[in-house]
Amino acid sequence: MHRSATNHPRFLNLLQMRHPVGAIVSIGHRVSGLLLIAALPALVAGLEWSLRSEADYRQLSEMLLGPWARGVFVLLIWALAHHVAAGVRHLLMDAGVGSRLPQARASARLAIVFALLCALAAAIGSLS
Amino acid sequence: MRLRIYRYDPDSDRGPHMQDYTVEPEADDRKLLDLLVRIKSFDDSLSFRRSCREGICGSDGMNINGRNGLACLTSINGLAEPVTLRPLPGLPVIRDLIVDMTQFFAHYKAIKPYLIEKAPPPDRERHQSPEEREKLDGLYECILCACCSTFCPSFWWNPDKFLGPAALLQAYRFIADSRDGATAERLDYLDDVYRLFRCRSIMNCTEVCPKGLSPSHAIEQIRQALLARSL
Amino acid sequence: MRVFSGQVPWLLQRLTALFLIAALLVICVVIFLGLLPDYSSWKAFAKSGHGATIIFVSYLAICTHAWIGARDVLLDYVKPISLRLTLLVAISLLLTATAIRLLLILGAQLPV
Repeated sequence: MHRSATNHPRFLNLLQMRHPVGAIVSIGHRVSGLLLIAALPALVAGLEWSLRSEADYRQLSEMLLGPWARGVFVLLIWALAHHVAAGVRHLLMDAGVGSRLPQARASARLAIVFALLCALAAAIGSLS
Repeated sequence: MRLRIYRYDPDSDRGPHMQDYTVEPEADDRKLLDLLVRIKSFDDSLSFRRSCREGICGSDGMNINGRNGLACLTSINGLAEPVTLRPLPGLPVIRDLIVDMTQFFAHYKAIKPYLIEKAPPPDRERHQSPEEREKLDGLYECILCACCSTFCPSFWWNPDKFLGPAALLQAYRFIADSRDGATAERLDYLDDVYRLFRCRSIMNCTEVCPKGLSPSHAIEQIRQALLARSL
Repeated sequence: MRVFSGQVPWLLQRLTALFLIAALLVICVVIFLGLLPDYSSWKAFAKSGHGATIIFVSYLAICTHAWIGARDVLLDYVKPISLRLTLLVAISLLLTATAIRLLLILGAQLPV
């Protein structure tokens, strides 16, 4: 098996690279965005339910705290928190605030930690 | 010191694989390139590009312990072992640590990296004040080593359509140059969903630039210039 | 299409983001201060003209922001143009369908 000139290998194994924190917060921003889009039909359905009747409203709130729904709820809270935190970081950088490397790294760490804390709060809150 | 180096021989049937080496650094050895040259003395088959050995030619860019950098500027001191060397990500590997830079240079050429003058040439020099010259700081020093572009995820996914941080930084170097008369055309060329706007400010480029430049900042400036002229 | 080239979606993405951040802050204030604590207050809000408008305009902002974001993801990862176009149309239909559904829900609340 001789490789022709058009069949060169490329090194693109992401697991073998040391990704900077900015790359982590960025892929999280993308993944959280996709999760939120996937949740939109459920959001509209939930809104419909919550307005249908008093009984439906209560049933919805109870269902949101059910066992499997709790996991989804915590995941969506993480997604929203991360997407917003990373988004605010982007907006500030676009305006020229914090776009130098040390500040960018710090704000990236802040965004990641903030989102995880929100998810933790949601997890604890939904257990009580 | 122990090293693990990516090996690939296009003439053999074997695919890319990692090879282990052990080298004893001499007293004068300071940089990773010194170790590579030492390996060459007992394994001549190991191939890598190098020239100036002082971080100005940009030849010896490679992926060092997971991050891009120049072998001649990477200190041996503090390098985690085994020192894992791989070629620059995303570009076709010609042999061992040597990659095909054609796509990278094609993007550089596309942004017209030379002064374009509309006005007739002056009688004597083209004047540029110190303030105007200062605008080129942080832009002219680029050595086109490709460490930035080959560490950019947007460049990995679309190397043919996204210009990449290096070419974009050079594009801005000419937009910022007071002597250049083609700013409008340069901005027109960049205002494209792929050429410029694949950039998401991930900032991997600025993280790895061995010359301490900030392509992400230059790209931000281009965006602001585009915005300013359309509002 | 020139309007979808570079700057317009980029700017629209930022503008809808700013609006949505403000909306999210308002929602947080409403939740944590207990301004709409139960079914009847929530229903009254959604029934009112301004309440329904706020909800719907916010959802339109979400759809715009989401569409531009989804398009960015497709531009990055989906190379064949026909597949990309198909997926983009599918997402557009999905978002439009949810928006129409919301419009109908809110419309049904309003006093005739």
